[in-house]
This record gives sequence, C-alpha cells and structure tokens, in this order.
Amino acid sequence: MSKTVNIDVEHVTRIEGHGNILVNASGGRVKNVQWRVPEAPRFFEAMVRGRSYEDIQTIVSRICGICSITHSLAATKAVESALGIKVSEQADKIRILMHYSEQLQSHILHIGYLAAPDFFGVPSVVPLVAKAGDVVKAVIRLHRLANEWSDLIGGRTTHPVTLTPGGFTATPSEQQFRELQERLRGCAGDLKIVADAVLSVAENIPAFERETEYVSLRQDNPPTYTFYHGDITSTDYDGTVRINDWKTVANEYVSEQSTAKWAKWNRDSYAVGALARFNNNGDLLSDGAKELAGTFGLEKGCCNPFMNTVAQLVETVHVVQTSIEMIDELLTAGLRAEKAGSSPRAGKSSGCVEAPRGILFHEYEFDGKGNCVAADICIPTNQNHANIQKDFEKFVPEIIDEGEDAVRRKLEMLVRAYDPCISCSTHTLDVQFIR
Amino acid sequence: MKRETVVLGLGNPLMSDEGVGVRVLERLSALAERYPLVEFVDAGTGGMSLLHLLEGRGKAVIIDCARMGIEPGRIRRFTAEQARSVKRQAHMSLHEADILNIIDLSRELDQCPDEIVIFGIQPKSIRPGQELSRELADRMDDYIDSVCEELDG
Repeated sequence: MSKTVNIDVEHVTRIEGHGNILVNASGGRVKNVQWRVPEAPRFFEAMVRGRSYEDIQTIVSRICGICSITHSLAATKAVESALGIKVSEQADKIRILMHYSEQLQSHILHIGYLAAPDFFGVPSVVPLVAKAGDVVKAVIRLHRLANEWSDLIGGRTTHPVTLTPGGFTATPSEQQFRELQERLRGCAGDLKIVADAVLSVAENIPAFERETEYVSLRQDNPPTYTFYHGDITSTDYDGTVRINDWKTVANEYVSEQSTAKWAKWNRDSYAVGALARFNNNGDLLSDGAKELAGTFGLEKGCCNPFMNTVAQLVETVHVVQTSIEMIDELLTAGLRAEKAGSSPRAGKSSGCVEAPRGILFHEYEFDGKGNCVAADICIPTNQNHANIQKDFEKFVPEIIDEGEDAVRRKLEMLVRAYDPCISCSTHTLDVQFIR
Repeated sequence: MKRETVVLGLGNPLMSDEGVGVRVLERLSALAERYPLVEFVDAGTGGMSLLHLLEGRGKAVIIDCARMGIEPGRIRRFTAEQARSVKRQAHMSLHEADILNIIDLSRELDQCPDEIVIFGIQPKSIRPGQELSRELADRMDDYIDSVCEELDG
C-alpha cells in the first residue's frame, strides 16, 4: 500500500508544554519519527537552595500532585542519609505503607482513567461511564480508598505533611490501622472487577515487542519486591549499583530533537516503571499478584511496553496484599509513641524510591547549619524518553500501513502506557465563558 | 459525616500566581471557626482526587488561578455551567486533570454537588517562585471577602 502519513500531534499546554509526536512517511516508507519533549521543569532544584533540611520534603511534595508522597520520601531518605539521621523500624514500615498507598492511587488512576478508555475504544473516562459503569465505579472506589489511606498516614490526600527527617510528626492509632486493614481486605472484589475488565479487552493491547534494558531498585536483604529500599539494578546488569552512584546509571545527555534530558546505561536507552520492576523482581511478588500476572501471560522478560499497564495492575494486588501483612506485623510488635529527632550537620547524599512510574533519584548537599546548597533530581519520565523514541522507531514501520488515524492513536497509546509525568507542576484553568 | 460545603483551594504554590488558590485557602482556614458547616481543603494539584472531595456535598466553592482574559489580579465568580475549558488536552498523562472535566465526570457519575461556584483569579505571571505577583498579593483581602460573602450568602 502506498500512503503518505504526516502526523504532528502537538500538545502545547501552558508553560511547560507536552510531548509532541512527529511522523513523516510516504509510499509506506518512514522518513522521520520523533518523540519530542520540552525540558521538564527543574526549577525546584533552585527553590530548595538555602532552605533548611527540615523543609525540603514539604517543598518537593508540591513538585507533583500524583507522586507527591514519592518525592517527599525520596527527599527525606536523601536528607537522612546526608545528615546521618536514623529512622526506627516502625517509622520505616509506616513509610512503606504510605508509599504503597500512592502506588495504588496512581496505578488505579492510570489503569482506569487513561488506559481503560484505550482498551474499550472510547476517547476518555467520561463516555466510559456509559459503556462500563461498574468498572468505572470500582476504579473510583479503589481510588477513594487509596486517597483515604494516603490521608490517614500522610495527614492529607496529596502533598503529605506528617513526614519529617527521622520519622513522622504523627502516626495513625492501632484502631485506625485495624480499620485500614479491614478496608484493604474488603477491596479484593473491586480489584477483581478491574482485573476482569482489563482481561476482557486484553486483545486490544498491541502485540508490539522491542528488547530493551529495564532499570529498577532491587532489595536482597530480605529479598523483597521493592519500591523503597535496596540498590539499583537492571535486566542487563547482574549486580547492583549503590544509590549514591545513580549518575553512573542515568547518564543523562542532551538529545538534538528534544530539550529534555535523556538517559542511557548499558544500551542506547532504558525503561523504568512497573514493567521494569516486574522484569527485575517479579518472582518476589505476593501470591495473588503472581497469579494475576499468570492470567495475563505476563512473564519476566516481557518486552512489550504496552504491558506496563498490566504490570501496574499486578502491582496493585501486590501492594494491597503486602500492606495487610505489614499492618499485622506493626500491630503484633505493638505501636510505640515515637518522637523523630534530628540535628543539622554538613553532608551530601542521594535518596531513591520507585515512583509509580519508575525509579526516582533526589540528591542534596547541606552546609554545617543544615541548609541546602545544591540539589539534583532525576525523574522517571526523563529516563523513559529515549526508550519511547526507540519504541517509536521500531513500532511506526510495523503499523504504517494502518493509516494516519491508527498510527496516531497507537503512538499516543504507547506514550500513555509509560504513564508519563510531563505536565505536573501547574493545573491552571483555561476558560472561555459561554455567552 | 462530610460537611455540607467544601471550599477547595487549588494550584501549585511553587509556581507563583498558579498557587493563588492555595494561598487564599491558607488564609480562609484561619476563619474555620466561623464556618462550622464548611470544610476547607488545600487540594494542591491533586487532580482526580477532587472527584472524592466533591462527592457527598451540597455545595462546593473552588478557588483557582484561571486565565480568563481579564486584568491580572481580578477575581471573577462563575459556575461550571458558565465556562468551558479550552485547555488542549492530550489525555497522555494523569497530570492534565482539569477541574471542569472532573466536574463533568462527577455529574456523569451522579455524585456532583447541586451547586458549584468557582472563583477564578487572573494570574499576572506563572513562573517558578513562591511569591505571588504584587497585583495578586495586594488583593488578597478582596479574595477573602469574596469567598466569605459567598459562604455567608
């Protein structure tokens, strides 16, 4: 088939801009394929300079409304490492529980509001209500549960306020933990509704594959499907790299076609996110999560980026099941009233956690008074950009004969599968009044 | 039991005027005792989380930075029916949530408050920084008065 395809999907919203998709092809031959991204805002690095180590996590929690707990935790870990601040086992567990709430919150939003409309062939979640109302309602119930869970531990739904270097300023009571545990037990039905719905349309997940490197945290002691502790590993690397050496992994560089920095490690690109975690640590998932992965035929070594959404679904089951067990552990040990203590000193270190959309690095340096003198943040979405471009280069020639609309739709769907964070710092309304 | 009315301050206080909704909310929270039936929430840039904050309320009052083509610093009251979003959305990211679209979804799910009032404040500039522009900072008392008038109404 001889066709000319010209796609220029430009999504400039407000100041930061969005990812743009560019495809030129004629006669079935692809001339140019580009994933172009404007620089993600790095202003917050300047904004924390001069601020006390005690304020960093509160400021960075505003970087993003979806990953605010994740940014706060990465910053807090970096601060504690730089200043030699100890955290109790109890506070550590509660932080992991708090982090799980954000994984559930973000994943269920991504699956329900962004990916499901693709799978069901509707333009957004609003028309999905008419087509699959029960599923949307289950998604909303799960999202509400995750929000209230974040609120319980973080002190509010987004932008947590209870986290402080050394621990927490407030933690839930035993009764509150028990109620949360009951609710987590009770959400299995909703998770199943969502999983069954995705499975029912799984044939709409494109069968595209491209081998690449998958980078995530790995925790060996004890072996854990980790989002929080551990060091850096990849499917191309047998050992682990220390968190403080993250720059030898991310190797950020400037690409000609984009002002955003790209990243590469052992190949010309790598991927981070749920599929990366699954490919590195999948054998450590909870039983229910493993079973669900099996239902979808998701196995370690999967290199279909569209399956990232399925890996997220699997992780939602994992975090719920693991949290139920962790609450048991906390309550069996007995909750203690703890006071977080810390004092300033000079130091420099990094902190790393898995954001829902992939591995996140924060690095800070403090002077003797504990004031920040330098900061560096490397977000997962930037680490995925080069990989999205490489996917485009392989995917477009495979689908070019399907015509412009199908190519555009599938490329947008591919970007969505990476669950990118490309416009997270502002939500200004842009309105026109109806006369 | 949720309180009958919710007041939501939206925006990012790290982006100067973009965070005006949160700044107004901070000031309003100090008046909470005067309004026992009202819950004041700093909703930041929580996106879809707004859906849950709207559910089960009789009335929602939203304060947000809005480009309305009027003089910087001016506040304008409108309802969700009076405005439409002209923000171009790619639906590529969860980070594009727009309160008008969330209100649509809330309606579709039949869980939307009967009354939603939006106070839009026209920004002077949206750039990295934790300070409001003078045009907005100088009118903070007006913003508080406007919202209180709505709540007293």
